[in-house]
Amino acid sequence: MTDPSYFTDGIYLVDFEFHPADRREGNPPVPVCMVVRKWPCGATQRYWKDELRTMAAAPLPAGYRALWVAYFASAEMDCFQVLGWSLPVHVLDLFAEFRCHTNGMRLANGSSLLGALLYHDLPSMGAEQKDAMRDMVLSGGPWSPAQRTAIMEYCETDVVALAHLLDAMLGTIDWPYALIRGRYMKSVSCIQMNGTPLDTEAHALLLANWGGVQDRLIAEIDSDYGVFEGRTFKTQRWEDYLMAKGIPWPRLESGRLDMSDATFRGMARTHLEVAPMRELRSALSEMRLADLQVGEDGRNRCLLSPFRARTGRNQPSNSKFIFGPSVWLRGLIRPRPGWGLAYVDWSQQEFGIAAALSGDPGMMQAYLSGDPYLAFAKQAGAVPPAATKQSHESEREQFKACVLAVQYGMGEESLAARINQPVARARQLLELHRRTYRTFWKWSDCAVDEAVLGGRLWAGFGWQIHTCNEVNDRSLRNFPMQANGAEMLRIACFLLTEAGIRVCAPVHDALLIEAPLDQLDEAVARTKFLMKEASRIVLDGFELGSDVKEIRYPERYMDKRGAVMWNKVMKLIKGPITV
Amino acid sequence: MSVQTSNILIPEFSTSALHLLRLPANYGANFGVKKLLTNVPVGKPKKPTFFRTHQSDEMSFMAMLLEQKETRETYLVATDIAQQISNLVRPVRLHTAIDRQNNMFLIPVPLPDESGSRNPWHESLAQAVEHAKLKWIRIAANMHIGGYDTFEAAGALPEPEWPTHNIDTLVDVSFRGKIILDIEHPVVQSLLGNV
Repeated sequence: MTDPSYFTDGIYLVDFEFHPADRREGNPPVPVCMVVRKWPCGATQRYWKDELRTMAAAPLPAGYRALWVAYFASAEMDCFQVLGWSLPVHVLDLFAEFRCHTNGMRLANGSSLLGALLYHDLPSMGAEQKDAMRDMVLSGGPWSPAQRTAIMEYCETDVVALAHLLDAMLGTIDWPYALIRGRYMKSVSCIQMNGTPLDTEAHALLLANWGGVQDRLIAEIDSDYGVFEGRTFKTQRWEDYLMAKGIPWPRLESGRLDMSDATFRGMARTHLEVAPMRELRSALSEMRLADLQVGEDGRNRCLLSPFRARTGRNQPSNSKFIFGPSVWLRGLIRPRPGWGLAYVDWSQQEFGIAAALSGDPGMMQAYLSGDPYLAFAKQAGAVPPAATKQSHESEREQFKACVLAVQYGMGEESLAARINQPVARARQLLELHRRTYRTFWKWSDCAVDEAVLGGRLWAGFGWQIHTCNEVNDRSLRNFPMQANGAEMLRIACFLLTEAGIRVCAPVHDALLIEAPLDQLDEAVARTKFLMKEASRIVLDGFELGSDVKEIRYPERYMDKRGAVMWNKVMKLIKGPITV
Repeated sequence: MSVQTSNILIPEFSTSALHLLRLPANYGANFGVKKLLTNVPVGKPKKPTFFRTHQSDEMSFMAMLLEQKETRETYLVATDIAQQISNLVRPVRLHTAIDRQNNMFLIPVPLPDESGSRNPWHESLAQAVEHAKLKWIRIAANMHIGGYDTFEAAGALPEPEWPTHNIDTLVDVSFRGKIILDIEHPVVQSLLGNV
């Protein structure tokens, strides 16, 4: 499939106008109209919502020899699903292609349809006019005949724009990979439509009490720290607390404590006593509970924002997505009666990807051992061959921190702080990594050479980044792991949704799925198999294993980092406590 | 239904088709960037440095060295010139060595005198260099015994990965700009008290 001539049943440019049901974000969309136009030339067909509802299938061919083209196709696919239509076999998403084509470049007008048109010097509707029309659609009607005509014409202008864009972008489209990305957008639609089930009672309780609970929450949590003055976090008091507890904390070049959420998040992983404070800060500063998008059926649905990150990963809104940064809030996730959830994540995904792509035999062996951190310690000669996780716990923790430090591009001082050891020990560990995994490091150096000299890095299925504006060595080295991790997740998503598994949400290197309780084991086994298959596809046969956490009704999902905070909040509002 | 891509006929969108579409992560393949050998120090390894020496005789080199203590510089002296300033030069064998960070260096081991004997410092250094052909060791001066102590690494460390450079290349890099081919060389003239 190297050119559009393959699609003998036609290439169709499509756009829907829609609004969320009952104008509530989190509800499935209600299609208002659809405009389709055959490319490169053909009549435009307009369909108003009444007519769409009478159709059992898309009005034009959607089989193997047809191609449907859209901009941000998951939205169009949502409408297909709401209408009960089978999804087209082939989808080309010009948003995904534009993102892939320009990733890493500085774009003056962003990656919206308008931005893509301006990038290609194509005519476009003004942003203000577009916003006004969008608002009219989102109002949910009823619309006057004149407004109805205006909406249809507006929809058609996007389809005409799409035609111009396809003409302009045709030469840059790498067909097999573009269709794989389109295939992913179909699965994104399936996932978005499914959503994540929440405990609606606990959610309502939280919404009703959140305003009043904040001061009590500060008093409750801060009693263990003593760092707040009113609602103000006092850095000096935090420094005093850290000193008293002997917790080393990363500092900025200025010498001041690094108070970023990323640092709190990282430190909370290695110093669990920090986790409640991190959760509290996150809850007070970032969490806008009212923004969490929950449909009338109690499911969290939001735009997954595929391909938004430079690595190609999804980048959903932190406040709208239940898997946003406030991990305690994930306690709201709860299967509906008679159902179960399973959180399946690839085991040490980034380490496995690094091992397989670099072809480092020691690293691959370490991954396949099932405990790469202990294996690394053994390979480096730091622990005896018979060492176990129990017999050499502290050594394993240090080598684990070292592996993660390499993945995050951490320096010796940050690693030293993370493992609470002298800088000399951190230096030694990083040196051991370089010595033990020489092949990996040579490959990593080559990735930097490629980025600097070739101006581009790529992942296994065509996602790429232009590196002309990227001077950060750490980002360049990390890109292959992140971008291939993203490719793996995309492939897993469509393998799963096409296999009929109900995926609730993709979460970085994991998938949350659901199934009736009597089918949960089978769904989990199938998910693990398909995730392994996705790893084989991306890593040339190398298999990544996965870990599973099952949640059976009436249990709720709980991230251990958020358990303390969840229970404190629930205690204050007399909600459901978890263990 | 099948797809022609990159001259491979594949069943459309099957899992096996996806396997075939994978792009290799062979970064840098078109650029052939390689690390250049720019510096090969000459001298004894520092006290904390574990090192190995090359087992092959071809990776050692007989040389006449002139050491300028004040500037801590070592010069390689051509044989005919060495004969003219024999009291200033020292005959050594340069052994190729490598540390745990894959840095190469040359260890000069003074040759025995006409009677076939060496002083204890030189003798213990020669023994350490031999030992390092098979084991990772480090050495430290012991003023009480007047020689070097040798410490063998306790861990099962991997064998060194020797770069492919030959000894001539190493010597060339090591003594770049520091080869004395002429008696008129300023360093020689200075040591002779002529300038």
